[in-house]
Amino acid sequence: MSIFTPTNQIRLTNVAVVRMKKGGKRFEIACYKNKVMSWRSGAEKDLDEVLQTNTVFVNVSKGQVAKKDDLKAFGTEDLTEICKQILSKGELQVSDKERHSQLEQMFRDIATIVAEKCVNPETKRPYTVNLIERAMKDIHYSVKANKSTKQQALEVIKQLKESIQIQRAHMRVRCVWPAKDGKRLKEKLKSLIKVVESEDFDDELEMVQIPEDTAEVSAGFSVTILWLGEKKEDLKQTSQTSKLDKKVCLIDPGCFREIDELIRCETKGKGALEVLSLKDVEEGDERLE
Amino acid sequence: MGHTILEKIIALQKKTSNIRNLCILAHVDHGKTTLADCLVANNGIISSRLAGKLRYLDSREDEQIRGITMKSSGISLHYTTGGNEYLINLIDSPGHVDFSSEVSTAVRLCDGAIVVVDAVEGVCPQTQVVLRQAWLENIRPVLVINKIDRLIVELKLTSQEAFTHLQKILEQVNAVTGALFTSKVLEERAEKDADATSSCTENSSGDQVYDWSAGLEETDDSDLYFSPDQGNVVFASAIDGWGFRIHQFAEMYSQKMGIRSSVLLKTLWGDFYINAKVKKIMKGAQAKGKKPLFVQLVLDNIWNLYDAVVTRRDKEKVEKMVTSLGLKVMSRDLRHSDPRVLLSAICSQWLPVSQAVLSMVCEKLPSPAEIVAERVEKLMSVGARRFDSLPEKTQELKKAFLDCSADEMAPVIVFVSKMFAVDSKALPQNKKRPLTQEEIAQRRELARQRHGERQAANQSTETSGSVDAGGTSILAAPATSSVTDALCAQTEALSVKTAVEEEGKEQFVAFARVYSGVIRKGQKVFVLGPKFDPSLALRMLSGGCSATDALPTIPHMACCTVDSLYLLMGRELEELDEVPSGNVLGIGGMEEFILKSATISTSLACPPFTPLNFEATPIVRVAVEPKHPSEMPKLVRGMRLLNQADPCAEVLIQETGEHVLVTAGEMHLQRCLDDLRERFAKIEISASKPIIPFRETVVRPPTLDMVNEELGKQQKVAVIHQVKEEQTKYPEGVQVDSTGLVMLTTSNKMATVGVRAIPLPEDATRLLEDNVELIRTMVQLSLFAWEGKTLDINQKILENIQDFKVKLESHLQGHKWRGAVERIWAFGPRRCGPNILLNNIEGYQRPSVWQCLKCVKEKEKAEATTLRDFDNSIVSGFQLATLSGPMCEEPLMGVCFSVETWDMKLSTPPAQQDSVDENSVSQCAETSNDNQSLSSELQDVHETDMSTTGSNRSRSRVEAMGSSVDCYGPYSGQLIASVKEACRYAFQAKPQRLMAAMYTCEIMATADVLGRMYGVLSKREGRVLHEEMKEGTDMFIIKAVLPVAESFGFADEIRKRTSGLACPQLVFSHWEVISSDPFWVPTTEEEYLHFGEKADSANQALKYMNAVRKRKGLYVEEKIVEHAEKQRTLGKNK
Repeated sequence: MSIFTPTNQIRLTNVAVVRMKKGGKRFEIACYKNKVMSWRSGAEKDLDEVLQTNTVFVNVSKGQVAKKDDLKAFGTEDLTEICKQILSKGELQVSDKERHSQLEQMFRDIATIVAEKCVNPETKRPYTVNLIERAMKDIHYSVKANKSTKQQALEVIKQLKESIQIQRAHMRVRCVWPAKDGKRLKEKLKSLIKVVESEDFDDELEMVQIPEDTAEVSAGFSVTILWLGEKKEDLKQTSQTSKLDKKVCLIDPGCFREIDELIRCETKGKGALEVLSLKDVEEGDERLE
Repeated sequence: MGHTILEKIIALQKKTSNIRNLCILAHVDHGKTTLADCLVANNGIISSRLAGKLRYLDSREDEQIRGITMKSSGISLHYTTGGNEYLINLIDSPGHVDFSSEVSTAVRLCDGAIVVVDAVEGVCPQTQVVLRQAWLENIRPVLVINKIDRLIVELKLTSQEAFTHLQKILEQVNAVTGALFTSKVLEERAEKDADATSSCTENSSGDQVYDWSAGLEETDDSDLYFSPDQGNVVFASAIDGWGFRIHQFAEMYSQKMGIRSSVLLKTLWGDFYINAKVKKIMKGAQAKGKKPLFVQLVLDNIWNLYDAVVTRRDKEKVEKMVTSLGLKVMSRDLRHSDPRVLLSAICSQWLPVSQAVLSMVCEKLPSPAEIVAERVEKLMSVGARRFDSLPEKTQELKKAFLDCSADEMAPVIVFVSKMFAVDSKALPQNKKRPLTQEEIAQRRELARQRHGERQAANQSTETSGSVDAGGTSILAAPATSSVTDALCAQTEALSVKTAVEEEGKEQFVAFARVYSGVIRKGQKVFVLGPKFDPSLALRMLSGGCSATDALPTIPHMACCTVDSLYLLMGRELEELDEVPSGNVLGIGGMEEFILKSATISTSLACPPFTPLNFEATPIVRVAVEPKHPSEMPKLVRGMRLLNQADPCAEVLIQETGEHVLVTAGEMHLQRCLDDLRERFAKIEISASKPIIPFRETVVRPPTLDMVNEELGKQQKVAVIHQVKEEQTKYPEGVQVDSTGLVMLTTSNKMATVGVRAIPLPEDATRLLEDNVELIRTMVQLSLFAWEGKTLDINQKILENIQDFKVKLESHLQGHKWRGAVERIWAFGPRRCGPNILLNNIEGYQRPSVWQCLKCVKEKEKAEATTLRDFDNSIVSGFQLATLSGPMCEEPLMGVCFSVETWDMKLSTPPAQQDSVDENSVSQCAETSNDNQSLSSELQDVHETDMSTTGSNRSRSRVEAMGSSVDCYGPYSGQLIASVKEACRYAFQAKPQRLMAAMYTCEIMATADVLGRMYGVLSKREGRVLHEEMKEGTDMFIIKAVLPVAESFGFADEIRKRTSGLACPQLVFSHWEVISSDPFWVPTTEEEYLHFGEKADSANQALKYMNAVRKRKGLYVEEKIVEHAEKQRTLGKNK
């Protein structure tokens, strides 16, 4: 006869076990379900709402209490303190509700990031988070709990491109390079640049000043874009010997590194790439008429 | 409809004096459409048996299902009376509040209105509204008291009671009219007074005697009121098909009783009775307890009839009555089990409602030719402009209006009040008609040809061999043959799908009226938008010119050819070739030129008509999204169409990418969504609450706690809370002192920034907000200046900037703001927002933001400080920080960040002496290697991705020098991140508050619903600013503010609670700080006493904040399960 016949079977209800190994021994505490994560995040401040009892067990389901001697490994006699230690460091099985809320939160976060970074290429206006969420569900995107949301957002954008009209919001950048490299560079950049807004071909010295506050940051997400202080004097030196090409264009943010690399290598550090705005989007409300 | 009637109508259209343009107005469910049905049945368009049941003019499916009218629709009727033939252009209008915009469009096109009032319900809110609308448009109303059968059958009133009841209703209606009249007179008087006081202020006030009469007595108002003896009231029951004016009875009895009909007419309504002995009509029926004449002669007869037919179902008596009335009733009706059938069969012969109403209309309502000069002036003068101020040529047009002549020479003036969508199948051109013999033969021939060609084409493909080429040749071959063939082939080549699409296409027809001249098919006309200015146009084209000439582009004007003209026949349209003045018509092919309403004319001097008075402004906002994101373009197109088709709906795309639909009410919203789904977009859509924006700000530390005790006096009890919070708030590397100064070091320990957040005064914030455009130009100017481009700056802009600066200085008074304006570093977010970055660093000079004011372009001297190079990083950090605050990632507002310290460590000597820039970069590269911790900001993928790539120039520099790459990314990137973090911490160090967007809400309400309206307002956190009574009426005008967040469903609720007597209007006004602290927890003893330890009484700010955080997927401090013990955890099968 097995010990777990229906009559003598004891089922733990509403119990989540948190385990921890300390000093070569395994300790367990009995907690309420769905509460441990709240405790860890600080939302739940009442310990009694988390712990079923402040006894430390060796095995919760069998009801074996840990021996006092073994507990010495924690360096304190106070059972509540030990429980707190186990609570914060022990491992536990995440319950369904906890996992669900965590995944949902991540899902939202991803959608928010995607909505912030992307636009509808036709209207140059962002999609709403709701719409992105729906599109993500349509492509059956599943959130990975162990990857950062931003990483996943970049993946999502790629996948979404297949189902809806979506595009990373273009960056507006300004490229400056000595005119002697101009032709060569232009050919190479052609494939990377989406739209060229203006092209300047200057040979006047004064005109080649580069505004220092062009690294405008207008996007809603935390990206650092830099304008690195190459001095005007510096450029003037270069431009004394050669003409400079100036170009304002829109690029995909993903190509930024490539373009940068290209300009830098080709011009041996004389060219420059600046970000004028991170997101090229329509501003303000528009009345449909 | 037969051809004969159509021809007759066309003929009648030319007789302006015999045209009546009228609309039916009433409260919802008072029987407008039923009445219209009776009138339509009179013309034989529908069976009179079906009148009242069919609701012919409710052509939409949802109108039929819901049983309410949702749009105004016109129909032309033909009516003959006394040898005169009349053309009646009838427009049925909806009664529901949400569709009052449709009423406006209907009223504008008419000269008269039939106001229908339910005999049981009396004057209802919408009745007042429509009376006001009719009044404002200067059109003459006549009254129909409908549903009198309900008094008999439902309420079981005696005829005597019914008489008093009817009298009361008439009084109510007249009271409303009177109120309108007095308010107008008072208004005029007030204007006159204002003029008088302004003109004769120098007059000694002593001899001024106040005129108490208020001018009411002087103005004649007798013709305004409804009175049966005037003949402008019809008593009716449209459902049973009867209705009468007292004229009819007066004539009837004058023959019978031998009393002159004019006498009877005067006495039939009122307190008169007949003295049978002396055969005289006497006054004072009520006092003597006698039956009034109206009861005795009119109502009693009807009551008897109802009694016999409906209540007692006495066959013999009925037959007797029928014969005595001289009617013929079909035996089928007599035998019918439903007494109502018999009743309507009798009544519609005895007292046909259409006869009564139509004759009244023809007698009492003016023809288009009788248009009043006053109304013309009103129509022609847009907005506040006086008629006199219009250009002369325009004033001359007034004559054309008054003449209303269908002359060839008269200028064409047409007003389009709305555009409505018609299924292209319903258009007469596309209607299927029986083919003639010739046509059939022709078609057969065509088919034969086609068949032959196809065979030839097949052969050619076989010869060519390639499949691709064959495909094109099939298309190409017929194209080269005759035109008709090409057309056929094309339609064939098109897939079935496109054919279906074309079939379901919506066409727009303009709902319009000709005020002067004759509009013809193929005529070239000007389409003038509502904002068109005739004086401007006249100036541009000095000579007279017609629509056929080539014209320079004038704003709000277009030139087009009239495509097609239609006669509106309810759900059908009949094509016309020309329409003379005074008629209501539909114009096709105008969708390109007209958005919602427009004026069409052949003269450019014609002013656009005054915009329609909409009683209900659109206030219900929803965000609309397609179910499938890929259908976005369809939605946008659909919304455009909807916007055109609906006079009241507004659609817009917001900066957040939301497509917002603004409608007048829930019912209207429902209709718009249905339209989008089924007609315009044809996709599945979902509507949701729009995103509500918030702002974040800081305030001065409060001096009072939540129970209004002074802070700092009592002991803080909940120290635990405080300590815990402070611990979690600041990670290491951040130092916060007690004054809120935050010191933060970059991750490579190279630079330290000290930032303090200070709340800006409210006025300053508002000033910044109002001048966003100015700041933007300012930034642009300085950008240009730095670039070295010379720019001729408009002197006016400079003045504005100077003005703005002075104002800002005046708002930033006080010790701590001394010299602040000069030291403004930047505005944010996006460089032009309501937040300020202050440069309070000692010994750091930078050109101020005001530099564009100095007209002389100073040659900027190269400052050899390293700080200068990284100036921009600080600004960028500030911009990022202000764009999304720490509370819920919403933009900041009214916060001033003052940078107090900024240290850069420069330990090693520069490697290359010539460039200052280089040395800082190289240093940061060298020294940063030994740093260990990556800043959290730089850890995230995107960040590193961007920042490392963005570092182009520093890296290039570094690599050129052969030193190792900075592991934290570029220096300036780190600086941006640190500044941003510093700003956020500085923000958090101060008492934070959320700011809510507020609507100003103007409510018009009658006195009796004021209380309930206040209830709704206070429930939704609204605040009443002031209320005042509108002079001469019992309407109150209440001005209140209401958070946008609470406005969803507000309009609906307030209408429900006040039975539609209060109509709110919402306009965005300002941002307001929500006074409660979202992070508040009870700290003092009193607060504990008052709120308890958990303080779970609703914290509005916290609620808003958490909602936003949840929406954005940010962390919300919320327990997944509130009570651990209360979880049900047993499995289902245990």
